[in-house]
Parts: sequence; C-alpha cells; structure tokens
Amino acid sequence: MSRPRALEKIRVVDFSWVRAGPWATRWLGAFGAEVIKIEWPENERGRLPSTTTPQNLEVNLNTSGNFNDTNVNKKSLSLNVRSAKGLEIAKRLIAVSDIVIENFSSRVLHRWGLGYQELCKIKPDIVYVSMSGYGHTGRNHHYTSFGPVAQAASGLTYLSGLPDKPPAGWGWSYMDDTGGMYGAMCALTGLYHRNMTGQGQHIDLSQMVASVPLNGPGLLDFTVNGRGSRRPGYPPGNRAHWPGTPLVNNYRGPTVVPHNAYRTHPGEYNDWCVIVCHSDEEWQRLVQVMGAPSWATSPKFTTVAGRLQHQQELDEQIEAWSMTLGKYELTERCQAAGVRALPVQSAEDRVERDPQLRHREMYLEMEHPALGRRKVQNAPFKLSKTPASNHLPSPLIGQHTREIVEGLLGYSREDLRAGFADGTFWPVKRARFPYMEEMLR
Amino acid sequence: MSDAQSLSGPLAALRVLELADEKGQFCGKLFGDLGADVVKIEPPGGEPSRRIGPFLDDIPHPERSLSFWYYNTSKRGITLNLETADGRRLFLRLAETADVILETFRPGFLASLGLDYEALRKQSSELIMCALTPFGQTGPWRDYLSSDLLHMAAGGEMASSGYDEADVPNAPPIAPGGGNAWHTACHFAYMAIVAALVYRTVAGQGQYIDAAIHEACALTTEAAIANYVYRGEVVRRQTGRHHAAGPTPRTQFRAKDGTYVCALVAGRLTPKYIGELADLLDTNGMAGDLRDPKYQDPAVIAANTSHIIDDLVANFIASLPAEEVYHAAQQRGFTWGAVRAPEALLNDPHLNDRGFWKEVAHPELGRSFVYPGEAAIYNGSPWRISRRAPLIGEHNVEIFCTELGLSRNELSVLAENRVI
Repeated sequence: MSRPRALEKIRVVDFSWVRAGPWATRWLGAFGAEVIKIEWPENERGRLPSTTTPQNLEVNLNTSGNFNDTNVNKKSLSLNVRSAKGLEIAKRLIAVSDIVIENFSSRVLHRWGLGYQELCKIKPDIVYVSMSGYGHTGRNHHYTSFGPVAQAASGLTYLSGLPDKPPAGWGWSYMDDTGGMYGAMCALTGLYHRNMTGQGQHIDLSQMVASVPLNGPGLLDFTVNGRGSRRPGYPPGNRAHWPGTPLVNNYRGPTVVPHNAYRTHPGEYNDWCVIVCHSDEEWQRLVQVMGAPSWATSPKFTTVAGRLQHQQELDEQIEAWSMTLGKYELTERCQAAGVRALPVQSAEDRVERDPQLRHREMYLEMEHPALGRRKVQNAPFKLSKTPASNHLPSPLIGQHTREIVEGLLGYSREDLRAGFADGTFWPVKRARFPYMEEMLR
Repeated sequence: MSDAQSLSGPLAALRVLELADEKGQFCGKLFGDLGADVVKIEPPGGEPSRRIGPFLDDIPHPERSLSFWYYNTSKRGITLNLETADGRRLFLRLAETADVILETFRPGFLASLGLDYEALRKQSSELIMCALTPFGQTGPWRDYLSSDLLHMAAGGEMASSGYDEADVPNAPPIAPGGGNAWHTACHFAYMAIVAALVYRTVAGQGQYIDAAIHEACALTTEAAIANYVYRGEVVRRQTGRHHAAGPTPRTQFRAKDGTYVCALVAGRLTPKYIGELADLLDTNGMAGDLRDPKYQDPAVIAANTSHIIDDLVANFIASLPAEEVYHAAQQRGFTWGAVRAPEALLNDPHLNDRGFWKEVAHPELGRSFVYPGEAAIYNGSPWRISRRAPLIGEHNVEIFCTELGLSRNELSVLAENRVI
C-alpha cells in the first residue's frame, strides 16, 4: 500500500538553477509535490560545469553527480521561456500550478512578463517564492550572490577561524544549503497560509539577508552591550574561549573547557575528534576514561576557572592521549562513560563508517539512467503518516517534456514536433539526446 | 494603521507548545515570528538555556541572557514541572489546545511520563508532534550526548572548513561558530512540521515527526557527499573558500583596511570577463597588463590565471578598503563581497531599505533594543516580532487561569508545590 504524501496534488513550477533553488524544490518533491523543472540547455547552470561526473563517464548535461543528488524528485521540461511561444506554454503551466519558485537575480521574472502581478492574473492564489541574492527591494537588489558572497557580506564567514588569522569561513556554500532550506520553508508556509485563507502571495527571500539572523546573539551583544566581534580572541577556533584573551561568551554555547578538536590515531588528514565537557562532573568522567593520569588529577584542572586558565596545557595533554586511539574507538569509550565526544567525519566516513546514519538509512541507492545505482541523501526526519522520500532520480534534461506538454497541458504530438522544430523545446542546432527522438515518434 | 500592520502572519491562529532547550528554541522562534501562538513550557525556575551568555551589561541573570532573548522572541512563557502528576495533568489539558508540540527531550523521556505521541493523539487526532533530538529516536548513537561543536564534527562541517597549509600549518579542521548545528536542525524541523500542517489542512490528520540533528548536519555540506559517491574523492580544506579534491585558486584577499574581500574569479576568466575586470581594476589605476590583446586568447588567460588572480586582483583589493571594493565590484556586476563582522550590518543601507532591523520593547527594563529581522519578506502575511522573550512564568496567570480556568489560589498552590 502506498503511503499518502504531504504535498499530494501540489504542483510546483521550478525556474530555479545552480544550487540554492534546486535544493529547495528537492524537498518539496520529497514531500510529494509534482516539481516541474523548467530548463534550457543554452544557459543551464547546475548540470554544467560538473566536477562530480564519475571518472568513467563523459561530462555532459546528464552526468553530474551533484546535480543528481540536488534534483531528485523532479521532472524536467526543456523550454525556451525567452521565446513568445515558450512563455505562453509556461503561463499555461502556471495556470494549473500552486507554487512558482525561482532564484534568478531580482528583475528577471519581471522582465519575462512573469512578475507577481502577472502571475496573479494567470493564477490568482499562486504562491510565488523568489530566492534572489539580495531580495527584490532595497538599493542593492541588483547585486548578485553565490553562497560564499552571501556568507562574506552577512558576517557568517567572519565567525569561522582562528584568532589573528584570515577567516577560515565555510568550506562550502552553506547559504546555498541554508538558502535552499529557506526557499522550501517559505513555499510550505505560503502554501499553508493559502490553504487556510485562500490567499496566495509573493515571498521575497534574499540569500544574503537570510544569513544575518544566523548571528543573533552576537548581534545583540553589539546592539545591547555595544560589544563588537572584532576583538582579541575572536573567532576562537573550535574553543569556547581563546587562552590569554579577555573572558567573554563567544556565541557557541556555554564557556567551558575542554571544548576543542584533538588529533587521533593514526594522525591522517581527518583523524580528529571533538571533546566537550559541560561541567566539572563531565570533566571527571573524562579523567576516568583517560585512565586518571596524574596530570589530569591535578587540582588546577578541577574547576572550570582552572581549566580556562590552563587550557593550552590541558589541550596538549588531552591530545597526547587522544593520539593513542582511533576516533571511533575514542568516541565509544567517551560516550559509554557519559563524555561528549564525536569524530570529525569526512563524506567517506559518513557514507561508509557512521553506524547511526547507516541505521537511519541516510544513504539509500537509486537507479539513474546515466549514472547507474548511486547512494542519494535521504531526509533528516521521519514523518509517521507522510514520510518524505526520494522516489524519482534527477531528470535527464527535457526528459518529461512530452509528458507535460501533451499529458498535462493538452497539446498534440504535432504541436510537440513543431515546438522541437522551431526551437521552443530544444535549440534547433543542438544535437538531441536519444530519448528526445523517442518522444517525437 | 498600514496594511502591513493590519495583516496577520502566515501562521496566525496556530498554537505551538514548545518543550525545547538550546537545540530547538530557534524552531519555536521561526513559528512565533511568523504569527503562531508559541507557548514555551519551561521547568520551574526557567529553562537552563537562560544561563548562556552574553548577558545584558554582563550581569549574569536568567532574565538577562541575550542568547535566550534572541531565540525566544514572539513566544509566551509558562513554567510546568512534567515530573509531577499535577504537571502532567495540566500538560494534557494544554496539549488538547495545541496544533503542534515541539520537544527536545532525550528519547524515551516523555514516554516514561506517559506523555508520548501515542498518549497525546488519543485526545487529539489532529496533533502534530515533532521530537527534535541529536540522533533521532532509534539507532546505536540514540543516547549519545552532543553539543553544537560535536554535531559540526560528526556532520562533516568541520571536515570541510579550515586552512590551506601555507596559511596555517597543521591547522585543525574548524567548526564555524554561532550555533549553526542547531540552526540547521531547526530549519529542517520547521520544514517537516509545516509539511505536516499542509497535509493536515487536506486530510485532517496529525502525525509524529522524528527529526535528527545529526542527519540535518550530515546533509549540509553541499557537494562533499557527491564528490565521494560519484568520484570517490575526499575533499581538502582551504582558507576561506570551497573544499575541493585538489587545490583551487584562492578567493579571499586582504584589503587595505586589514579586512578581507571574497572575490570569485577563477572559473570565470573569459576574454569578455577580462575586459570587465580591467575596467574595474582601472577605477584605481591597477589594470596592469589586462588590456594587452594577448588576453583575447583563452589559452593565454589560462596560462596567466595565477598572475591575474594572485597579482592583479590581489593588488587591486589591497589598495582599497573592503567595503569600497565590494560595492565597486557589485555595481559592475561582479559577484564579490566584503568579509564583514556581523555588527557592520547595522550600517548596511540595503538592510535598512528592507526594514530589516526591528526595535523590540523590553517594558520591564523601560528600554528597547534592536534585533535582527526576517530572512524573507512575506508580502501578504508579514513576519514580525510580536513580543520579547518571555520572563520566567510570565504567562502563567494568562494561560493557566484565563485560558484553562484555574483559580489564582489553585495557581498559588501549584507554585508552592513546585508544579509551576
């Protein structure tokens, strides 16, 4: 028996590209919405350039691994929206849809004649989520962003690193992930509101602005106490407090020691674990796990004040011990004794070695027509009645064009062929994939 | 009254009971600021996250935690001891009024009190309950202890963030601060709960959600998993830019004022881009040899990538303050940004144009403070901070007496017996 889906019968017109927008609609698809991704190969961004195509495959529009993981649960309509005929088809699609979502810069949809006022004429209760870099209002609305730029301009980059060093920042586009989350959150919230009131609306999400509320306590420290974050000892690496600098809270929970990353055996690139003790009692448990060595039982480490004062020495001693154990063995020993410790995990660690993620079925295999059977990332929540699931691999470009144009919108096979011939559904001079020839028969 | 003031938030009339500590309080804020009636249920004496600094004027006090203030806007607050029979009885009555219950207790705790979803759904089949816990309700790590830093380690954030060896030899992997393991988990939990709410508008049924912080973090490292799954690669950490399987050109440059600029250049170097870059660098007379016709040849560009980035772009940025570089570049269409400290955002006119900063009254102090505002503008149903974080038990009378019908004397007895 198939399970009901939270977004059964909800249709999403998805103009989004690159990463943040597609990461948003991936989740709407996982909840069961029919997500129709509108693409055009001449200015496609997300499938290409690809740095995640398997070594044994040709890099082309259908072989990006990261695209596959980011675009499961969707259908693809290849459509030249910049042509009058293509725009008309997009409008007919919007007329039978619930949500329009895009992550272009701020004026693009408006220029196409698909601004919110126009969308309302086509579908009065449409929920329109724009995911631009800087939003649709404000003097810098025309600025553009990718994750790293949003992170830099919003203050997120600055809170990562060692004191007196350049910012370490985020080693990936955290705000493409998180901006995508907000895109899905906005769409779902707008949909709930529509279902309750009958009213649609335009929700104006900005990737850069969405980053700022993630610095709340630090910002209040400034607006309330006048304390800025350009100060000695900030950011404090992985610690709660950097030795030898004024004692203040650094916005990562309570100020405690130990609170750091430590090398583990055999000392390879990702052989690290983190250990945190939230109380003197937890510290005493760690002392026992370490075998109560004489250095650790010294009174100078008994209190948090002492551990703060002697943090550098403490960290060196802990690391001398942690180097004798593998990171998983260390984790098990600590956790069995009630000590907070977990390994630093690479992607390989998460996929191959993390027993919890395996138990929770975080990476299940799916068959993709070009990429074969591959593990795809699952949802981090289990809904008892309407579980989110990956039910479609990412679409080949234009894979569902016939299904949507004929099946959903009611055009004829002749219309479809004409649209391929005149460049509405595929560039006239561009080689077609075999599945396109198949759909034109 | 303007339209925006007269409109309700998108979650108006929704009641959320929040039984959340530092792990889940941000999720409650997301609901409250969008109009839900969020009732935060704290243990008598207040939730331990009130002990996290910084504090107002650096005076530690459970009513002065700026961290608690920030994460608990737009909520009402009551105290209730679930480990007493009277506390459980009152909770069951409250649960009858709730659309959503969010809880972050260790797995099994509510069940041990007879307050798990199976018990609660018997009195309200439309109830949605979300347990947001470090590892979920099942699995070998279910009962492990955690913290924000621990999740950033096991989730993979740390394995992706850090330094080039040339910048900081032997650097550890770095966990970005600010509580982002909690944020990430709360974003996913919010999403799951609202999806369940949408389903309820159609099907009239509630459900139970088992959400895991570890999984949320493990999902939030962009292409790191794909790099491994499709190519077997394990990415390396690089200063201020993306992890990568092999070294990539740097993107973070020191400006004249000692702060940094994020300038995405590599991968974009076409002859057309070179011309635009020359125009930008020439605003400060620093285009160097970029106007040489040889750069019309992509092969020459490729051979000179290091010269263009590490000499010309780096020297241009070093010649100006970071904010000037940022705006000059963006005005010309370059996707560059100044690496700002968070407090610099208070002076960003763009945020002011969007009405981002909010004055929030703290009437008990006779003062107002500026808070960060909304990630997104809901044009038809505005986001707003409806009130500052609740004081301990601030709404006990309002909720227990006015709403549930207890007398003041009954409330006094409950307080004397540490039920509230």
